[in-house]
Amino acid sequence: MWQLGPGWSDEAELARVWRAAQPFSHLVFDDLVPGNRLPELLAILEEEPVHRYEGDIFAFEASAPEPTTPELRELRASFASVLGPALSRITGRQVGRADMRAYAYRVGHYLLPHADHQDDLGRVIAYAYYLPSPEPPTGGELELFACRAEHGELVATESAGLIEPAPNRLVVFEVSTLSLHQVREVLSGLRLSLAGWFYP
Amino acid sequence: MTTVEQLFGGRTAVVVDDVVGPSRAGEIRTRLDRAGYARYALLDRGSYGVLADPQEPELFGALIEIAARTTGRALALAEVRALRLGPGDYLLAHHDRIHDDHPVELALDLSPASVPGAELHYRRRGQVYFRVPCRPGSLAIVDRGPTVSCNHTYVSKRNAAASVVRLMMLLRDR
Repeated sequence: MWQLGPGWSDEAELARVWRAAQPFSHLVFDDLVPGNRLPELLAILEEEPVHRYEGDIFAFEASAPEPTTPELRELRASFASVLGPALSRITGRQVGRADMRAYAYRVGHYLLPHADHQDDLGRVIAYAYYLPSPEPPTGGELELFACRAEHGELVATESAGLIEPAPNRLVVFEVSTLSLHQVREVLSGLRLSLAGWFYP
Repeated sequence: MTTVEQLFGGRTAVVVDDVVGPSRAGEIRTRLDRAGYARYALLDRGSYGVLADPQEPELFGALIEIAARTTGRALALAEVRALRLGPGDYLLAHHDRIHDDHPVELALDLSPASVPGAELHYRRRGQVYFRVPCRPGSLAIVDRGPTVSCNHTYVSKRNAAASVVRLMMLLRDR
């Protein structure tokens, strides 16, 4: 299913882009899955139930943290085994396993600014893979923020980049206390994605 | 000895409707606008306009009286601020302060019009136990215990004209 296409061939250049990316290290890869495999991927996800989740920083539908079908578990395992080694070389951060949930952001859904870092969770690299949608969304961009911290506290935050949720696009970014990001509110359509984190 | 009731708090949580009429609310909003809101934008905590220490002594007195009747406590104003949230704004629970002395919080809704989905959520140990919808003229009265936090929910950008104005007052025993 997952295939490292020509965009992954020059790892030295990708490592340079990763290090130079602002406001924090990230990479964007298009056409991650060969077009003829996309229907198979979507079929796997159709079997996975999603539920509504709502908190003060988010409103969306998502699958459970642990996949319910063996097909999605296999998809998750192959994602980690195909991408993990390449990402380890590119980012200089050793990663192995990954988790994976399916997300559906409908009209009015959002994920407000936050950093994924939590001391006890071991998240190293975050990822989002955007799926083709029957109703392509407006809004739903991944927004990255530049942050300034003093004595461990954020004292300034400013929008510093938008990444469109284009179908078959993978975004990976470093997890740190300063990697503030959000999913902007979906204003129309449906934003579908797989997302999670890579761990050591 | 601290009782379970004192620990978990949240004894009073009510909304009183029609405390302020539309024309008076409009006059107050105009004075607040003139006094000037400052923008809060540490986005991992909140995004909103805030006016510290607005001067509306007559209004405050009337609201304290309603709160005293409702809670059966003799209360005095400890803190007050006005918040204004537009499309895309929010105030997260971890940006809220925890109070261990059981103050009473008042939220007077001065919004020009109801904004669906723009709510005030009171949480106990993270779980929402009291939702205050945006209903102009209404007053929420909440007894805050040490496990209670509060957040102002995200205001959708789909309503470009949305404006949520809340006068937030903290009252303590006299």
